[in-house]
Amino acid sequence: MGRIVYAAAMSHVLHPPYYEKNVGPHGKRMVEELIAVVRDMGRELAARRPDALVVIADDHLNVFSFDAVPAMCVRIGRSVSRMAQEGAIEFDRALDGLAERYPLHEDLANRILEEGLEAGFDFAASWSAPLDHAFLSPLTVLHGDRAMTPLVPFWVNCFVAPLPSARRCFAAGQHIARVVADGPWNVGVIATGGLSHFPELSLARVGESDPEFDRRVVGWMERGDHASLTALTTKELHATGSHELLNWMVLLGAVAPARARVRFFGEMGRIDLAALAWDH
Amino acid sequence: MSRYDVNVLLYRLKKDAAFRDRFRRDPMDALRAAELSDDERDALVRWNPRRLNELGGSLHLLLSIPDLGAH
Repeated sequence: MGRIVYAAAMSHVLHPPYYEKNVGPHGKRMVEELIAVVRDMGRELAARRPDALVVIADDHLNVFSFDAVPAMCVRIGRSVSRMAQEGAIEFDRALDGLAERYPLHEDLANRILEEGLEAGFDFAASWSAPLDHAFLSPLTVLHGDRAMTPLVPFWVNCFVAPLPSARRCFAAGQHIARVVADGPWNVGVIATGGLSHFPELSLARVGESDPEFDRRVVGWMERGDHASLTALTTKELHATGSHELLNWMVLLGAVAPARARVRFFGEMGRIDLAALAWDH
Repeated sequence: MSRYDVNVLLYRLKKDAAFRDRFRRDPMDALRAAELSDDERDALVRWNPRRLNELGGSLHLLLSIPDLGAH
């Protein structure tokens, strides 16, 4: 019988030059503190010896164009490439210098996809979607010099309305937990993104976050108050710039009823940074 | 659906270096075949990211187009 042996969620631009440029020395220092915490979490992950790592993250209009945006998508196949962006600027530079290909856990990915369709989750499947910073920035820090764990990348549409609901994302996580329990593998589950930034996805409001909202949702995670979390509406997530919490909702469904331990929480102004772990 | 057309153009500007060069040389010509409202075309030609965002242009695309990013 399979087990979720490690579960964590964390912000996903772990790239000090980005914050140094856009926030200043204070932002750079804060993300460096977060990176040190995520490195420690990576050592804990490695100690649990996962056979596979499910990574739940969002696309930033890098992979899926407006021609088709899946609400949720499972990456299948044997390996996955890093997104290539010629002339990369800003957060895309977090990908500079990273390895070009990464292993996938094909069997677990296929089970999540196929059993998902049987259970009523209309997941999209992709054989070719590459990974952008939302996956690779935290994965690279978590793994350090260690070999990359075979991955199951799982995308949630966090940015192109209409978005899947928090409740539906939570249910998808419960599905992932069932698939893991029925299988033979030890599995890590990571969700990335957040906390609040870019409210209303408005260029005029870039630079704002919502610390009060972030403290509230992190408190709910610490108390295991999943009813309050899944009751969050897409409108609330959009207004506060908490779109990427949808990734975290999938993880919450996978680990419920476990309570979160806060490993890092920092209010930066432009974005609030966090790293949480769940004992499962 | 104009939100779609604006974002298809922004996506192409991010991903297609040859189109981006053509757009920077002569934006009117690069956009000639695109189905856009006058307002959308004007915001693109004058490269007004805030206006493009108000018209439905994706924030993440507007922030990350090489040499045209809105930061």
